[in-house]
Amino acid sequence: MASKAYDKSFREEVYENVDSGEEIKLCMQCGVCGITCPLRDEMTYGPRQIWSLIRAGKREEVMNCSDIMLCTSCYACKVRCPRGVKVIDVMHGLARYALRQGIVPRKETSKFGKVFWDCIAKTGRIDETDVPMRYTMTAGPIHGIFNALEMMDIGRALLSHKRMKFKVAPGVPPAKKIKGIRGLKKMLKKAAAMSPGKES
Amino acid sequence: MGQAILVVGGGMSGVSAALEAAEAGYNVVLVEKNPYLGGRVAQLHQYFPKLCPPYCGLEINFKRIKNNPRIQVLTMAEVTGIEGAPGAYKVAVKQAPRYVNDKCTACGLCGQAVEATVSNPFNYGLDQIKAAYLPHEMAFPYRFVIDPSIAGGPEGEKAKAACPYGAVDLEDQGAELTVEAGAVIWAAGWTPYDASKVEYYNFGASPNLITNVQMERLAAKGGPTSGKIQRPGDGKEPKKVAFIQCAGSRDVNHLPFCSTICCLASLKQATYVRAQLPEAEVTIYFIDIRAMDRNEDFYTKVKADEKVKFVKSKIGLIQPNEAGNLVLEGENTASGERFKAEHDLVVLATGMQPNTALNKIPAEVAYDEYGFVQAAEGIIGAGTVRRPSEVHVSVQDGTAAALKAIQLVAGR
Amino acid sequence: MAKKYACYLCKGCGIGEALDFDNLQEVASESGMGEAKAHEALCSPEGLALIKADVDGGANALLIGACSARVKTDEFTFGKEVLVERASLREQTVYCTEAGEEAAADRQMLAADYLRISATKLQKMELPVPFQLEQPAEKAILVVGGGVAGLNAALAAAKAGAKVYLVEKEDALGGFLGKMAKLGPQSPPYQELQDTGLEDLVGQVQGNGNIEVFIGNTVAKTEGAPGNFTVSLSGGQSLRAGAVIQATGWTPYPPEKLADELAYGSSPNIITNVQMEERAKAGDLGGLNAVAFIQCAGSRDANHLPYCSAVCCLVSLKQAMYVKQANPEAAVYVIYKDIRTPGQSEEVYRQAQREGVIFIRRGEEYPKISDHGGKFTVETADVTLNDTVAIEELDLVVLATGMKPNNPKVVEPPLVALGMDQEEAKRLTAEAKAQSDDWSVLNLAYRQGKNLPTLKYAYPDSHFICFPYETRRTGIYAAGTVRRPMRVTQAIEDATGAALKAIQATTAAAAGFAVHPRSGDESFPEFFMQRCTQCKRCTEECPFGAINEDEKANPLPNPTRCRRCGVCMGACPERIISFKNYSVDMIGAMIKSIEVPEEDEEKPRVIVLACENDALPAIDMAAKAGAKWSPFIRFLPLRCLGSVNLVWIADALSSGIDGILLFGCKRGDDYQCHFIKGSELANVRMSKISETLDRLVLESDRVRVEEIGFGEVDKIPGIIAEFMETIESVGPNPYKGF
Repeated sequence: MASKAYDKSFREEVYENVDSGEEIKLCMQCGVCGITCPLRDEMTYGPRQIWSLIRAGKREEVMNCSDIMLCTSCYACKVRCPRGVKVIDVMHGLARYALRQGIVPRKETSKFGKVFWDCIAKTGRIDETDVPMRYTMTAGPIHGIFNALEMMDIGRALLSHKRMKFKVAPGVPPAKKIKGIRGLKKMLKKAAAMSPGKES
Repeated sequence: MGQAILVVGGGMSGVSAALEAAEAGYNVVLVEKNPYLGGRVAQLHQYFPKLCPPYCGLEINFKRIKNNPRIQVLTMAEVTGIEGAPGAYKVAVKQAPRYVNDKCTACGLCGQAVEATVSNPFNYGLDQIKAAYLPHEMAFPYRFVIDPSIAGGPEGEKAKAACPYGAVDLEDQGAELTVEAGAVIWAAGWTPYDASKVEYYNFGASPNLITNVQMERLAAKGGPTSGKIQRPGDGKEPKKVAFIQCAGSRDVNHLPFCSTICCLASLKQATYVRAQLPEAEVTIYFIDIRAMDRNEDFYTKVKADEKVKFVKSKIGLIQPNEAGNLVLEGENTASGERFKAEHDLVVLATGMQPNTALNKIPAEVAYDEYGFVQAAEGIIGAGTVRRPSEVHVSVQDGTAAALKAIQLVAGR
Repeated sequence: MAKKYACYLCKGCGIGEALDFDNLQEVASESGMGEAKAHEALCSPEGLALIKADVDGGANALLIGACSARVKTDEFTFGKEVLVERASLREQTVYCTEAGEEAAADRQMLAADYLRISATKLQKMELPVPFQLEQPAEKAILVVGGGVAGLNAALAAAKAGAKVYLVEKEDALGGFLGKMAKLGPQSPPYQELQDTGLEDLVGQVQGNGNIEVFIGNTVAKTEGAPGNFTVSLSGGQSLRAGAVIQATGWTPYPPEKLADELAYGSSPNIITNVQMEERAKAGDLGGLNAVAFIQCAGSRDANHLPYCSAVCCLVSLKQAMYVKQANPEAAVYVIYKDIRTPGQSEEVYRQAQREGVIFIRRGEEYPKISDHGGKFTVETADVTLNDTVAIEELDLVVLATGMKPNNPKVVEPPLVALGMDQEEAKRLTAEAKAQSDDWSVLNLAYRQGKNLPTLKYAYPDSHFICFPYETRRTGIYAAGTVRRPMRVTQAIEDATGAALKAIQATTAAAAGFAVHPRSGDESFPEFFMQRCTQCKRCTEECPFGAINEDEKANPLPNPTRCRRCGVCMGACPERIISFKNYSVDMIGAMIKSIEVPEEDEEKPRVIVLACENDALPAIDMAAKAGAKWSPFIRFLPLRCLGSVNLVWIADALSSGIDGILLFGCKRGDDYQCHFIKGSELANVRMSKISETLDRLVLESDRVRVEEIGFGEVDKIPGIIAEFMETIESVGPNPYKGF
């Protein structure tokens, strides 16, 4: 029998370090999360199988799996899980844990997340034009422009429906900061200090 | 001999409790909410694992009741209040009007005279029944009922005019009475969990999506299709039938406990389909198959039928399609595959909710968080109000409850 | 008793319009019932008052021609001293035959025959006189087995006022409960392990003045019958008991048999769940860093125990929690086929998971266990990982072995042996004996054997769905895991219920009436011994082992063991067995009372001997539903098809009856017969008569046995029609008119 050995160290690592990681103990492998997820077709494993892999100690498979960064927080799985497992929290927890480890299972999500985060951290709000522009340009100047041209139709539509303001370039004109930006920055700093696995 | 024992609920555990106490020489008052005894088992087509008709045993029990003067049966009655202490209770019982007195011979003339119909509760609403009706073909007591909706109107008068025996009593106000009892056995049974609460199963969206209790009526000779398994939507014979296990059970959002009988009920219903429709395929979608003790043999037998497939998956979505079929989506947790499967009849294995979760006993009684009655002196839970259970456990439990009651009333 | 007959005829429910009452009154009078009174609705207060007045005036044998005996039972009951016989003019006459003038003559003859049949029955029957034991019935209850079921049975019976003898083979009470460290969670919130409570339970038993305990004892012999058992113990004492509860518990499936599959015996650290419990109780769970539990070790396996032992999942969850609670860092695996945690115990499953127990679903194959210098590796399919995995570095492997009942297996020879030649019958009997266990728990001094008859797997029950306490030995009840695999909490309930059944049995024995299913029946079989030929059929065929043999080899009936089915009456070739209200002569006379038209009238007559428990209600149901069948059919209700005596067939055929149908319950492994073998016996007996029929130049097609119950209601008209065609094709009975 070509068996793969169970390794308990990874699941213990997850229980300890991943936000809501202990939740997965309660999974009974019914499969509802995997079928409920609107992004199920994009996922290699889906939550249930990820829990199963964690249980077996398959660190590489889990940490490098883009599934853990695909969650859109729609809550469907969390609402339906018959064991009440906070599926979303664990998925995000795993994603954060991976990033803290310097593992980027899904680069695009990570890049977008960083742009999104920077915008909030800097101004206290999301600038609907600035974030996509900056994200597009993360592909580099040449690819960025190609990507932007591909997105042109969507951009026009958004403009015409006044869902987006016109900008010449990222940061031009600059986004407005919220009033209590200093307070927000303090809060974010404190929150970062509280989160598990603070070594990163 | 001593004080009476009051038994609430005339299903399997209540009838057992009443009979066993009476046959040991104690007086029993048996209170039943329906117009007939037998409870949920009276609505079953067959029992697992023997595939035998429930009326075989019920008939014996009803005969025992008929022959035993110690049992007083009150149908259409509910307990509204309990006062007193173990050994000496005063129990208020409210009896709803039946509008038919004991002169009824069950000749059926009133039913022929009346035109109005009501949804048939015995068939779980799958068909309509005349508003003057015998609850079902084997009903005990064997007496008609007039639905309150017609009692005050011209349809009620038609029934009255048709009865040659003066059995229709439209003035019936029901009754309120007080029963003195030394002990109360609460055997109020269960209700199928409301399938529409599991919103991703879209119960109600298609007539071909039914519950397991409805499936019993579809297979029963006295059911809406005279026992022919047909799609309620178009009367066609189904070719691909699915059973969805744990439709609400083992789910912290619904019934956190296991309803214990649904796996075996679905295995049994799979045999109904296979016996009647040799071409039909059956798929049972499950988390764990729970066929305890000798019932395992039954599981083994059903598994041996190659047209019954077992897929380890809790179904995550059920949607009707244009063809009137149902598309199930799930993840096969054995292969990891996510699948869509089209079935033309889908049965939800809904669970057992204790009736004490829906209607509490009007007295100080402890429950667990699901509403199951906890052991206590004086007011004694029996059957499915204590835990989900199959028939033999209900009988066992009813018998045990009878002895606990006797311990209280003996010698008083 | 001096009978004063009275006859009443009801015109209600369409009977009045369908029948000629002048004629019926004439028939009643000719049948010795006097002047029959007709009433528009006999069950109405006025109708009942009419009867009541006559009863008050001394009438004590009433023939009521109205609806079926199953309905209006209360109304037409006039106290224990009044015999009532009902002729079914509604269901079995008017409802089931074609309406209208054309059919009137046949319908009328049918009704008239039912009056004759009922009148004959009334004339032939007597009020039963309850059987009384020679000594006053003993009410003490013997409980065999001092485990959780036995202790609870004893206590439950004692608390209801019964004297109890509790016999335990070990030197201490407690059984397996005594070996347990803890119980799994049993009460809300179903998360905490619980104490076994054994000390308290034993204290209550020992402190109860109604209970006498005999430890270190087994039952050497059980003689007698309900109300009068004499029980000899291995210690020499002799006890008198009225009823017996066998609560002898279970034995672990022998783990040695799992040596090949699961390496049992290869290491002291591959143990069973029972051994694990002993270790836990001894506090010997230190130093366990990794443990695997292997579920269904022998259970759910055609090569070992095909059934599910029902408790092992919960036992492993509990034991996994022991390990986790001793060492929260320990890796604990439960390798299972299906996790079976019914009811509220689903929460126990969740709790074990919360505590960090890992569950791995395996396939049908057993995991492979290998020893690596005292550490084990378990290789198994991991279904939900869709892979094969190895769990290494295990300190301990626990095999969740199942439970076998502590009850000897009894295999009975097939009934067909009855109809075979002596040699073949002997061979089959020897074969069955060889498959049976030879040890005993109760050592019953019963002619049919020392053990409780068993169904599959040595469980000593019968109708295990509807009547779970029903064994095939009256007054002896099985409780707890000897009856069915079950958890401690369920065994407590089971024992409590069994205690009530035992109390009932003593009550019935004292009062002289039957227990379930003919509860309250005061009749019992009486033997006209002078004519007995010692053929032994009654002793062999009684489904309940009620009849022993005396030293002169005569049958020795034990009426308190009897369930009043009448199988003995059917078995007896000399027709010496009768009940006061049910006898060979009575049914024979009823058959002969049917008027058989001359051959040229082309009105055949067919009788249906029908089981009154299932077939008869099914017939009523079919009739009520509007089914129609031949008016040439006459139904005769029987206590059980097993009571059919072959002489009735001869009686019927010699009086010109053209055909005989026997409607009985389903037989075979999933039998529904309330008297176990009645239906099957009838079938075997009928198979034997074809030879006799051939000798009389009568076609064996004239007699047929059908399985009719509630499941066959819709088939009844078809079966009758088909049989009528057969009768038509074989032609009229040549004995007509002789």
